[in-house]
Amino acid sequence: MFRRIRTRLAVLYAGLFAVALAFVAIALYAVIATTAERQVRSELGASATVFDRLWTMRSRELGNAAGVLARDFGFREAVATGDPRTVESALDNLKARLGLKVAFIVNYDGSVTGTRDEGLKREAAKLWTPLDAGETSGVARLGGVPHHVVAAPILSPTLSGWVVFATPLGPSEMNSLERLSAIPIAASVVQRAAGGGWASGPEDSFIRAHLDGRPGELDSGAGVSVALVKPLHSLDPQRPAALLLRYPIALAMAPYRPLHIAMAATGLAGLLLLLLGSWRLSLSITRPISALDRAARRMEEGETVEVTVDTGDEIGRLAKSFNAMAAGIAERERRITELAFTDTLTGLPNRAFFRQHLALELAHADRARILLLCLDLDNFHAVNDALGHAAGDALLRAAAERLRSGAAGSLVARLGGDGFAIVVRAPADPAASARRFASLFAQPFELAGQSLAVTAGIGVAAGAVGLDADTLLKDAELALAQAKQEGRGAISFFETEMNARAQERHRLEADLGRALAQGELELFFQPIVALETGAIAAFEALLRWHHPERGLIAPADFIPIAEESGLIVPIGAWVAEEACRRAAAWPDPVRIAVNVSSVQFRKSGLESVVVRALAASGLAPHRLELEITESLFLESSEAVVSTLHALRGLGVRIALDDFGTGYSSLGYLQSFPFDKLKIDRTFVEPLAERHGASAIVAAIVGLGRSLGMEVTAEGVETEAQLDELRRHGCTSVQGFYFSRPVDAAAAAALLDRESGGARSAA
Amino acid sequence: MRALLALPLLALAAPAAAAELVVTVRLPNGAPVANAVVSLYPGGRPAPLAPPAGIYKVAQQNTQFHPFVLVVPVGATVAFPNYDAFRHHVYSFSPAKRFELKLFAREQNRTVRFDKAGVVPLGCNIHDQMTAFLKVSDTGLAALTDGSGRAVFADAPSGATVAQVWHPFLRAPANQVELRWTIGRGRQAETVSVNLRPPPRPSAAY
Repeated sequence: MFRRIRTRLAVLYAGLFAVALAFVAIALYAVIATTAERQVRSELGASATVFDRLWTMRSRELGNAAGVLARDFGFREAVATGDPRTVESALDNLKARLGLKVAFIVNYDGSVTGTRDEGLKREAAKLWTPLDAGETSGVARLGGVPHHVVAAPILSPTLSGWVVFATPLGPSEMNSLERLSAIPIAASVVQRAAGGGWASGPEDSFIRAHLDGRPGELDSGAGVSVALVKPLHSLDPQRPAALLLRYPIALAMAPYRPLHIAMAATGLAGLLLLLLGSWRLSLSITRPISALDRAARRMEEGETVEVTVDTGDEIGRLAKSFNAMAAGIAERERRITELAFTDTLTGLPNRAFFRQHLALELAHADRARILLLCLDLDNFHAVNDALGHAAGDALLRAAAERLRSGAAGSLVARLGGDGFAIVVRAPADPAASARRFASLFAQPFELAGQSLAVTAGIGVAAGAVGLDADTLLKDAELALAQAKQEGRGAISFFETEMNARAQERHRLEADLGRALAQGELELFFQPIVALETGAIAAFEALLRWHHPERGLIAPADFIPIAEESGLIVPIGAWVAEEACRRAAAWPDPVRIAVNVSSVQFRKSGLESVVVRALAASGLAPHRLELEITESLFLESSEAVVSTLHALRGLGVRIALDDFGTGYSSLGYLQSFPFDKLKIDRTFVEPLAERHGASAIVAAIVGLGRSLGMEVTAEGVETEAQLDELRRHGCTSVQGFYFSRPVDAAAAAALLDRESGGARSAA
Repeated sequence: MRALLALPLLALAAPAAAAELVVTVRLPNGAPVANAVVSLYPGGRPAPLAPPAGIYKVAQQNTQFHPFVLVVPVGATVAFPNYDAFRHHVYSFSPAKRFELKLFAREQNRTVRFDKAGVVPLGCNIHDQMTAFLKVSDTGLAALTDGSGRAVFADAPSGATVAQVWHPFLRAPANQVELRWTIGRGRQAETVSVNLRPPPRPSAAY
């Protein structure tokens, strides 16, 4: 209702005071009214008593006079002998003496004498019954006016009648009673009409209700009075009479009016003072609250605020608490910001902070000549897998520390994983700057008690005005990818064509995602011929991509993309199933060789892919040969070996492809008994020309034979090569000399021809 | 009081058939009413009066009249002897007989003759409390009830008769009620129930 505490408090206090004041006023008024009324009531009671005395005195006085007359012998004789003139004159004499208005004789026979007023005679005749009943004093109505009537019997000596004196009870008679009272009361005698009411309106009901003599309040229309009814004895039982005494309340309350006025004035003044006081008090309370309110709003908008505390009361304490809270919030905000922009592992700024920083740097024209270096540790995965994550983290921390110490004012951030980024401002020689950072990795790292040589690839991109942070970062990352391709510790600068290549790659990757579903992939098969029999011992399944726009795409162009994007997993599964399905149609000893990528090994599920392919095709496991490369052993060899054992457990053969081109260590040959070694084509090609080449082939064949493995030579194109291989004792050969890779139908035809040939040969 | 008067009258004028009649006057509550006068009018006519037998007497003694009610035949003379040591002023304003015996003392024997039937209330102008009643009867058969409320007629004539019962305070016009009886042969009893008003008090309190 009231939106301000100030208003609410003032209204509340003023309201309470007004209510209290009203109660006091009501109580006071009630007391005064009660007192005044009680006073009036007691005065009325006293007046009634006075009237009673007067009545009695008057009755006795008149009674005595009547008695004296009634006993007078001559009067009695006059009455008894029926001498009206004498009676009349005697009564007139007495009226004059006593100052009476009305006097007459009611004879025992019911006749009335002593007056000539016929109307009075008729009314007087009605008095016979009460007189005969012995009632000699009371109120009777004569001439329409209530009269005080007193009678005395005339005994002569028997009852011959009554002398009756009457005085009217009109206003002038009542005045004498009113004058006797201490307060100005109004007195009147009322008489009930025969079978009717006492009076008209409210007076009638009041009289009826108060005949017991209790005073009460009478509202006669002309104001409220305290009134009292005193029943008077009436000589007519049909018409009871009563004395009505009245005193207007307004008159009784008049002396208290100054008190009422004084009280109202005091109350009003008090109310004003209270309003003023409570307004001021609430102001003193709400001012600091308003200050807090404003401060809270400013805080909401992010400002750092402090409220000035100048009191020690609850509000003062609240303000203190508020200040403490505001300081706490500010501190926590600072911490959260810090955490949000810091890499918790290395303590370097994180990627988010780096991007903001880079954007800020680029936004300033004079700082546009900045250099962005993206740096990535070589073979970090191998370290992580070989030594554990704790060692990997330690390496990252150590690398970060070296970068920080060597940054020399440049910003160094960790982008995630083993990737770092450095922003160098306006370098004199970008190449020298990049080399300086590369040289930070010249010394080996001491890790878990081992000395570990770790190099880093660096991609460099130069900033320019208007270049945005994301683009620059992408450029640097492309350059880094190039550097990584170039080998360990390489530094590569961003060139525009990198961008085009990258876009090309992205397009291919997107197309490759669809290729499998669109049926654009196809398996080609190249026969592997056993030298001993000259028959086809197996086919190597080779993947071909028929791109709808570019035509046939070589595996070397899309397999790396598949491996990087992870698409190699579904593609590999499809290859395994398709190869097994085709091979199942071939005669029994003919095997199928399927290449397995190292990515497929890293992802779990290779084993189930092989099982499904075998189960779906019904191909005997020994007819499936999985070809893996040495590079697999660069990564965690233990996991690889356990997977190889599991596959071997299925009955599948394992061949080592491209032998002699990758990993320098031969130790892994001890860890798993391969079924076959495949001599890479780089050793086969120069076989006829160079003597050294022949020695390597001889060594490999010897190695395989001594380890109990078959040896297959790839890339055989000439008869000279074939002869040389045969001379060295190679188990089987594969190459254009026999057949290019052909589609499934052609492969089946080759087998048919061979079996036909065999038949014809036989 | 006794029915002294009736007895000699009845002996003289006894008709052929007569019976003893006992009239009892009571209040409605059964209390006997003394000093009531029962008058019989056989056949609606007054019974013949006997000639006056001596002098009737209403004495004043101890500021009271004695007797309170006296039945006399028309034409009787009543003496008012004063036995008190002070004077009395006996009077009556009655239509039957208006007289006044002013301030007479002891030894002064005054008599008044009553020759008109009716009730003559007696008062004393000096002493308000003194009241007595003379019942001047025009029939020979009139008797006063005694303390037990009984009036006895030894020889009431048989046949229809009009009976009047009067008492100074009887609540009825002229303080009197009238009844009609048929007197048979033999003893007969009649009971009359009346209401009395309280005797007027001469000094009403105001």
